[in-house]
Amino acid sequence: MKNAFIIGKRVIIQLKGDKRFLALSLIAPLIIIYLLKIVFDIITPELDMPMNEFMPVPIEMPTLATPKFILPVSAFIVHFLSFVLCAILLVQERTRGTLERMLINGYKKTSIIMGYTIGYFGLATLQAILVITEEIYLFKFDFATSTIVILFFVIWLLAIVSVMLGIFISTFARHEGHVFPFIPLIILPSVFLTGVLADPEKLPTWANWLGHLFPLRYANNILTTLTKPEFHYSEFTGDFLILIGYALGLLLLASRTLKESD
Amino acid sequence: MSNSVEINGLNKSYGKLSVLKDVNLNVPEGAIYGLIGPNGAGKTTLIKALVGALKYDSGKISVLNLDPIKNKWDLRRQIGYMPQTPSLYGDLTAFQNISFFGKAHGIKNLEEETNKILAFTELSDRKNDLVRNFSGGMQKRVSLACTLIHKPKIIFLDEPTAAVDPQLKQRTWALFKKLSESGVTIFVSTHLMDEAMLCDKVTILRQGEVLLVDTPHNILVKGKTKITVNRNGTKTELISGSSASALASELKKFGLDKEIQDITFTQDNIENIILDIVDKKK
Repeated sequence: MKNAFIIGKRVIIQLKGDKRFLALSLIAPLIIIYLLKIVFDIITPELDMPMNEFMPVPIEMPTLATPKFILPVSAFIVHFLSFVLCAILLVQERTRGTLERMLINGYKKTSIIMGYTIGYFGLATLQAILVITEEIYLFKFDFATSTIVILFFVIWLLAIVSVMLGIFISTFARHEGHVFPFIPLIILPSVFLTGVLADPEKLPTWANWLGHLFPLRYANNILTTLTKPEFHYSEFTGDFLILIGYALGLLLLASRTLKESD
Repeated sequence: MSNSVEINGLNKSYGKLSVLKDVNLNVPEGAIYGLIGPNGAGKTTLIKALVGALKYDSGKISVLNLDPIKNKWDLRRQIGYMPQTPSLYGDLTAFQNISFFGKAHGIKNLEEETNKILAFTELSDRKNDLVRNFSGGMQKRVSLACTLIHKPKIIFLDEPTAAVDPQLKQRTWALFKKLSESGVTIFVSTHLMDEAMLCDKVTILRQGEVLLVDTPHNILVKGKTKITVNRNGTKTELISGSSASALASELKKFGLDKEIQDITFTQDNIENIILDIVDKKK
């Protein structure tokens, strides 16, 4: 565990020194959320138009500019960026030879994975605080303090899971380019199957079940519950536990797939 | 004297491509042992197998009487490995890089030891600079410092002076000599004959096979030397063996002619010596 903290400290020093990376991780989600805001500002009035005769059945559009839609989108942004950036950074360790050097110097693979998680712990926390604060300010969400705290934990936990996923995927990549095929394979389907755009329960059964494979589904379940006028904590305890399980499971998988020798 | 490294019948292949073929060699304790061969000879593969970074197909390796795969954690405490690329963190300073790798070994007085190794590698005045701002040669020295921080008994250096200027190369080899004198075994790969000449013993590797194990002097005399004699501006070129007797017998033909302005000797490069050895084996 001592070595994990040493690696974590090194990751933090590196993150602090890499201004471009920090900007991408922290400012990019904020800019994207702001872009969402300005788009929703022009779309929402159009939806307020009266139904005409050609639209007898009200179609269910995302309830734009409401927490029900905004929160899952921002969760996705955090998920996507944390996954991609962490995976690429760890693959860079391999291509630059520092991963091999760490292992030959006696750092064990579990220490390396834990170290990366510790390093990103702070970044994920900062990312979650900034995203939630911006959303509350921009969209004027009126949440109770307890709801904001839970919101923060969901986004934070999702960021940690995404980091774990990034570490796991990086073990299959020989260079940075190998990370990108995993984006359409893992990240993009989660947009459609986990409640970012539509209620997954209304999807075909197979698609709904497939959606359960993605951690974003559980984060979105919690976020959707939080947007209800009334809810009970027991409604999302299971989803929280599954997210924690995902983090631990991915940690275990990554420590099995990370090779100590070629 | 016991051996620090013993390799018996080592084989490694990637699919159908055989990269190490029945390699056998012994490295005496405290020696500077050179592994020479052209690019693609299998030098890096062999070093990676020795440090436990590569699983081999068959054969037996013993480094400090330990198996690099089965006893990797015991072995890694006692060996140093300097990869061909610097393999450093550009966002960290020289000091931070060295102490990061030192921490893995749980070194006591790490700060003091890091400063000592920085002085040994002549990096003290740049210790707080980010490594990404260093030249290639400086990065190689930081990499060497990272390799030495835990005082290993044997170090494996993969082309440590590739792309390093001649002055720095000379200083780096002076460091290797100092280390060797303090009892550290040095296993160094190179494709340069002038570096091989500085080793106690040399193995020539070609296409994954050991061609020859001998002292650098004995290997060098197996090659040819081009003699260029300049007599009153007229140059005559001769190809001779590289042994002293062969050179003397060629020069004898010119006698003690006062019109000779200069004589230059150009020794074979490693590739040509290898080709000669291969030709003679046919």
